[in-house]
Amino acid sequence: MGRPLADNNESPHSDGEGDSNLQPAPIMYSESRGDTKMNRVGVVSVEADQVTKVYSVGHVNYPALRGVSLKIERGELTSIIGPSGSGKSTLLNIIGALDRPTSGHVRIDGVDIRKLSDNQLAKIRNRKIGFIYQSFNLINRLTAVENVEMPLIARKIPRNLRRDGATKLLSAVGLAQKAHKRPTELSGGEQQRVAVARALVTKPAIVIADEPTGNLDSKTTRELLNYITEVNRTMGTTFVIVTHNPEVSERTHRVISIRDGMIEKEQRLQRIDSFAK
Amino acid sequence: MINVFVSDVFELAIKALLDRKMRSALTIVGIMIGAAIIVALIASSNGLSAGISASMGKIGANTLVVNSAMNFVTGGSQSQYKLSQDDVRILGAISGVTKVIPYYNKMVTITVGGTAIQGEIEGIDLTQLPELYKGIGLSDGAYPSQYDPTAAAIGSDIASPTGSTVQIGVNQMVSVTLSGGTGNLAFLVKGILVPYGRVLFSNIDDTIFIGMQAAQLLLKTPYYSGFYVLTATADDVASVQAAIESQYGSNVRVMNAGSIVSSVESVSSQMTVFLGAIGGVSLFVAAVGITNTMFVSVVERTREIGVLKALGYQSGQILSVFLSEAVVTGAIGGVLGTILGYFLSFLIGGIMPMGGGPMSSGASTEPVFTADLILFALLFPIAVAVLAGLYPARRASRMNAIVALKYE
Repeated sequence: MGRPLADNNESPHSDGEGDSNLQPAPIMYSESRGDTKMNRVGVVSVEADQVTKVYSVGHVNYPALRGVSLKIERGELTSIIGPSGSGKSTLLNIIGALDRPTSGHVRIDGVDIRKLSDNQLAKIRNRKIGFIYQSFNLINRLTAVENVEMPLIARKIPRNLRRDGATKLLSAVGLAQKAHKRPTELSGGEQQRVAVARALVTKPAIVIADEPTGNLDSKTTRELLNYITEVNRTMGTTFVIVTHNPEVSERTHRVISIRDGMIEKEQRLQRIDSFAK
Repeated sequence: MINVFVSDVFELAIKALLDRKMRSALTIVGIMIGAAIIVALIASSNGLSAGISASMGKIGANTLVVNSAMNFVTGGSQSQYKLSQDDVRILGAISGVTKVIPYYNKMVTITVGGTAIQGEIEGIDLTQLPELYKGIGLSDGAYPSQYDPTAAAIGSDIASPTGSTVQIGVNQMVSVTLSGGTGNLAFLVKGILVPYGRVLFSNIDDTIFIGMQAAQLLLKTPYYSGFYVLTATADDVASVQAAIESQYGSNVRVMNAGSIVSSVESVSSQMTVFLGAIGGVSLFVAAVGITNTMFVSVVERTREIGVLKALGYQSGQILSVFLSEAVVTGAIGGVLGTILGYFLSFLIGGIMPMGGGPMSSGASTEPVFTADLILFALLFPIAVAVLAGLYPARRASRMNAIVALKYE
C-alpha cells in the first residue's frame, strides 16, 4: 500500500483527448495490477492522472494538489480522508467537474475535463455526477420531490417522466410518504436522504459526497450509510465520500488518505460487489 | 424541448417570488404604478383629442368663425373692433363665400324652476341652425320665429338640468341673467333641442338659442359677437381665411374647424408624449427597484446558485431562472397597472388641463383605449423588467460554483 497509482502503463493519454467529447467512452482494463484485490475486470468511472492544482493569490502560488493519480472503478465505494487543507476538497471539486486541474488529466466516464468549457463541464456534472453535501443544500421553498427533480429540469426532461423518476428514488431512500414535504419539515437524516435521491436521479456515473454525515448523529449516520451501501450494491452506483468519520470510511471498499496535496496511502478494505461490474 | 425548460423555469420563478411575498409585491407595485400612469395619461389624452376632433366634426369643414379681436391701445385700455351689418356685406363679397351668419353670444346664468345653470345664450337666425350644426334637431316644439323677441329654443340640459328633477316643457318660461347682472329677461320655450354635445367652444346642450332681435334687446348692442362664414367647399376655406385676414388685419380672429382640429391634435400628441414620459420615468424608478430587489435576491441565494451549478445548470439556464423572475414581476405589474390605469383614466379625465372650464367646452374627455396602448402597457413593463433584471441575473449566472457553495 502507499504505492502511487500513477504507474498505469496500459493507456498513455495524449493532451486534448476527449475534449468536447461528452459521450461516455469507458476504458476497459484487463488484469494488470499487482494488487490481487484490484485484479478484476472493471470499468473506470473516474481516473486522475498526475493531477495538480495551483491556486494563485496575487503573486503567490499555493499548490493544493501536487500530482495525484487514482482510478475509481464503477461500482466502487471509495472514501477519501485527510486533515483540513490536505487538498481533498480540491480533489473532490476536480473529480466532480466543478473545477479543472492545473495540469494532468481527469477523465470522468472517459471524458477528459481539462479543456472543457464551463457549459460542457455543467453538462458533465448534470449527466455523470451527483453531489451530496454536509449541509444537504436542498432548496427550502421546494418540496422533497421537486428538489429531486431539479437536475432533470436542467436536462429538459418532461414533467411526468421527471416526477416518476424522482418518486422512485425517494421510495428507494424510504421517503415515499414525505415526497411533498419541504426540507424544513424533514429531519436532518431525511433531508440528507432527499439529497441522496437528488444525486442519484440522473443515474450518474459517480456520486460525490462531501462529509455527508457531518451534520448527522451517529444513529442517522448509520441509517444513511445503510442507504448508501444499499444503493451502491443494488444500483452499482460509484461513490466517492470525503469524511472525517472512521465509521463511514470503514464501510467503504477503499480508503484513500490525502496529505499535503498527495496521496499518502491507500487501503483496500473490501471487494467491490460483483453486481457493480 | 426548449419549451419544457421555459415552462419549468417560470414555475420555479413563481415559487421563488411567492417565497418572498412582501418583497415581490412591493416590486410589482412599483411596476404597476408606472404602467397605470402610462395607461391613464395616454388614454385620457387620446380621449381628449378624440373628443375635440368629434366636436369639431359637427361643424362643417367649410365653416369659418370670425370674431372681433381685442386690440390693446396705448395706455393699457382696450378697444374692440365692432362687427356690424357692413361686415356681413364685406365678408359676403369675398370670393368663395356662400353665406355669412352673424351671431350674438354671451355667458349667462339661466334659471329654470328655481335652479340656476351656467350656460350661454346665442342669438342667431334660428333657421340657419341645421345648416351650421350637422344633425341638430328638435325633440319637442318648433324653432321660434326670427322676429319673436320672447321665444327661445333651449338645449337638452336646460330642459332637464342634471342633478335636478326640474323638467321644462314647451311653452314654459326660462329666465336669463347676464353675467355681471347687467340684464335680465324671461323667455318662452318654443322648442327643445336634442342632446347634441359640444361644438367648437360651446356646449349646445347648455345653450339658449334666441332670435337676433331678442339678442339685441337682451345684450343692448347692435354689434355682433361674430360671424359664421360658410364657403362653397372645404377647399375654399384657406383662401377665404387669407382674404379675411388681409381685409381686417388684427381686428378679427378667424378660425376654421380643420385648423382647430389639427392644432388640438398637435397639442394633444405633444401632451401624449409628455405624459408618456412621466409614466416612463415612474417605470424607470420601478426598474431600479427591480434591479435592487434582484441583487439582494441573488446575494441571498448564492448557495442556491452554487447548488444549481453543481446540479449541472449552465450559465444560460441560471440566467433564465433569474430573468424569468423579472419577467413574471413585469408581467404581473403590467397587467395590474393596465387595469388600474383603466380606472384611473376616468378620474384623470376630469382634471386634465383642458378637461374643464370654458376653453375645453368642446371636448368630451371619455378616455380612449387603443389596442396599441393596451399592448404597450402590457409589454413595456416586461421589457423594462428584463432590462432591470439582466445585470443581477448575469451576475448570478457567472458565479463561481465552488465559491458559491461555500457561501454562508
